[in-house]
Amino acid sequence: MAGISGQAHAVLPAGLPDGLPGGGKAGRAFRAGAFIRRHKLAPYLLLTPALVGIALVLLWPLVQVVIFSFQNYGIPQITGVAPTQWVGLANFTSTFKDSEFWLSLRNTVMLAIVVVPATLVAGTIVGLLLNRLGKKMAAFVSTAALMAWATPPISAAVLFYWLVNPDGGVVDWTLSKLPHWLVGSNNWAQYNWTTTGAFQAYVVIAVLVVWQAFPFIAVSVLAGLKTIPTELLEAARVDGASPWRVFWKITYPMLKPIFLVLLLLSVIWDFNIFGQSYIITGFPGNQNEYNLSLYLYDKAFASLPPSYGLGGAIALIFALILLVITVGYVRSSVRQGALA
Amino acid sequence: MTFTRSAAALGMAVALAGTAAGIAGCGSSTSPASGPAAPAKLVVWRMGASVPSQVTWMNGVVAQWHKKFPQYKSTKVVVDWIPWGNRTTDWTNALTSGKGGPDITELGNTDTPGVAAEGALANITSDVKAWSNGSDIIPGNLANDTISGQNYAVPWFGGVRGIWYNKDQFAKAGISSAPTTWAELVSDAKALMKAYPGTYGLGAPSDYTNAIVSFIWGAGGQVAVQQGGKWVAQLNSPQSEAGLKFYADLLLTEHVSPAKYIGETELGTPGATSGGSDEDFAKGTLDMYIDGPWAESSLEAVSKANEAQWASFPIPSENGPNPAPAFAGGSDLGVWAKSANKTAAWDLVSVMDSPANATTFANSQGFFPEFTSQLSNPGYASSPLLSGFAKAAGYTQISPLNSKNWGTADATDEIIPDMMKSLMQGANFAATVNKANTELQNVLNTGSET
Repeated sequence: MAGISGQAHAVLPAGLPDGLPGGGKAGRAFRAGAFIRRHKLAPYLLLTPALVGIALVLLWPLVQVVIFSFQNYGIPQITGVAPTQWVGLANFTSTFKDSEFWLSLRNTVMLAIVVVPATLVAGTIVGLLLNRLGKKMAAFVSTAALMAWATPPISAAVLFYWLVNPDGGVVDWTLSKLPHWLVGSNNWAQYNWTTTGAFQAYVVIAVLVVWQAFPFIAVSVLAGLKTIPTELLEAARVDGASPWRVFWKITYPMLKPIFLVLLLLSVIWDFNIFGQSYIITGFPGNQNEYNLSLYLYDKAFASLPPSYGLGGAIALIFALILLVITVGYVRSSVRQGALA
Repeated sequence: MTFTRSAAALGMAVALAGTAAGIAGCGSSTSPASGPAAPAKLVVWRMGASVPSQVTWMNGVVAQWHKKFPQYKSTKVVVDWIPWGNRTTDWTNALTSGKGGPDITELGNTDTPGVAAEGALANITSDVKAWSNGSDIIPGNLANDTISGQNYAVPWFGGVRGIWYNKDQFAKAGISSAPTTWAELVSDAKALMKAYPGTYGLGAPSDYTNAIVSFIWGAGGQVAVQQGGKWVAQLNSPQSEAGLKFYADLLLTEHVSPAKYIGETELGTPGATSGGSDEDFAKGTLDMYIDGPWAESSLEAVSKANEAQWASFPIPSENGPNPAPAFAGGSDLGVWAKSANKTAAWDLVSVMDSPANATTFANSQGFFPEFTSQLSNPGYASSPLLSGFAKAAGYTQISPLNSKNWGTADATDEIIPDMMKSLMQGANFAATVNKANTELQNVLNTGSET
């Protein structure tokens, strides 16, 4: 960095080991400075340390994941009892042939299909309500909601695990005390939500995720609502528009960019759910309740023997699915002018 | 102010760097594996939860070790307790990072072939050959730790599962002798439920391979057999299917096991160590519970109310009179391949696993020692709790649970637990078993389901 300006050299002690005369050095530093100024390189130079850092901790591991996904890389390769071999697409084909991969993909997609709209709708409604509440009440409600958001996912998952526990969980207890015509069956006592099947487990996970995720949506929507000029809303009301119409004709179009970002973030977050499903389904053991993250973790790390090659391949497939969804949605939105 | 604070931070950083360098220096100075230099400490990985009696036992062993090998008298022995569910991840982390590994590790006997094949365990063939007690080990059990004629671990203790019950409950339900056939087992379970309304008769968790195999074997079936050097899975033979159907029907048609055990291990939700059929048995809401004698301390931790009534009988075979073969479970001790102190580690193993110490340990924890000379101990037959298990120990099988890819089949792919879960959820019987059978055969032969 000393090369950016000649001044930097002034503070360096004289007689550097390269033994060049001071004048020549200053001249070169000046020429380098001119070069940087002429080509407007300063911002890039300032960005370099951060980029190098990111490359080291993010890009290089990414490259390694790609390399591993085409190898038989595992423990014997690390300890040196077996050689590392290129296996072509074998990791990918065996993943696609594995029925558990499709099962976990289905669990992941189904969860996202339910949870993403539920989170967005719940968050938007709460955001709209917050906008109409008085200052004190709004502060109270948003604080209460944000506490759910601030709860660490693991703590929240353990909490829900206890709530639905077949032995003394409050959910089963309540359901078994309610009149049977209301809850459909009288078999709720000791009902095991978490390991009986994927559907039951993901009902719990869906409620948990929505509960934790809607406050962020609500606060973001609220922030967006504050930017809508009140004259617009007032004019609409004077013209006799119903709240429903006001929302779809004014609020929604104006907040569309915010909704787009929130939708994309929600899709990415809900595809990546790991800790909650790990705790609720009791990893490892119930493979029919895996989502993609658990499946990936199982193959890469928790297996005997673990296979980083297989894990890398699944990670790439996973990333590709998200990329397709994201890029597709952003493209269509840009065409509609939502991001303009 | 700012200056002092940053100077302090700098000082800290330097001190930390110094410590790190010091540690690194230490590690490298003790490097030659066979060097006589005494290590500063040895790390032993034990599986499960720390229990006071095991700590006392280990302290006694270390004292003996210091006495027998005076060169290690200043060596500290550190025991780390690894929950069973975390063992694979912890071994893997230690192997891949090359750091934080043990010098000695306990292994489940079904883990040893797979872990040794990964290069995690030191070859201790010459040590075992030179060891005076080596020849007293039950030969089949030592063979389990041997790959191509090389030893990678030594058996430490063994154990078999049986069925726990309460003597007073049997008396009240009018059961005079332990069941020896499946028909008797079910009728006894129903009699107990009648005598104790609100309880379940016999717990059948779906994620319980080591018990389910006894029902396969008890009907004369096999999980898989070796033919011409290849594994042939036999889950769908008529005998094996009879065993699987019986186990699933404990829930489905006989209703002696609750639905909440679907997807659970005998200890509850996978990964948990309590909250399942173990807890229900200790609380008295489950009348008969399948597990080994080692469960005693954790059952006591839930409730000691019925402790005096606890007794056991072997898992019956389909038509009696002999019990179903029990899976010969147990633990081994291995020296970690990356340990810098292999000689000291083996010396400690030789004391931990001396016939006297291994027997005291096994007896205190409800296991059986791995030495032929110790198994004839009359104490086992006379204890009401142990007699059933001791009887079961006479009828054991381990194959194919000790094959190289069994860890993949059971711990990773959960083939038998998944199959049993589907069956208990009412899936088509033949299709489910056939699918599991194909997967099992593929994994045992190639390490992959497909």
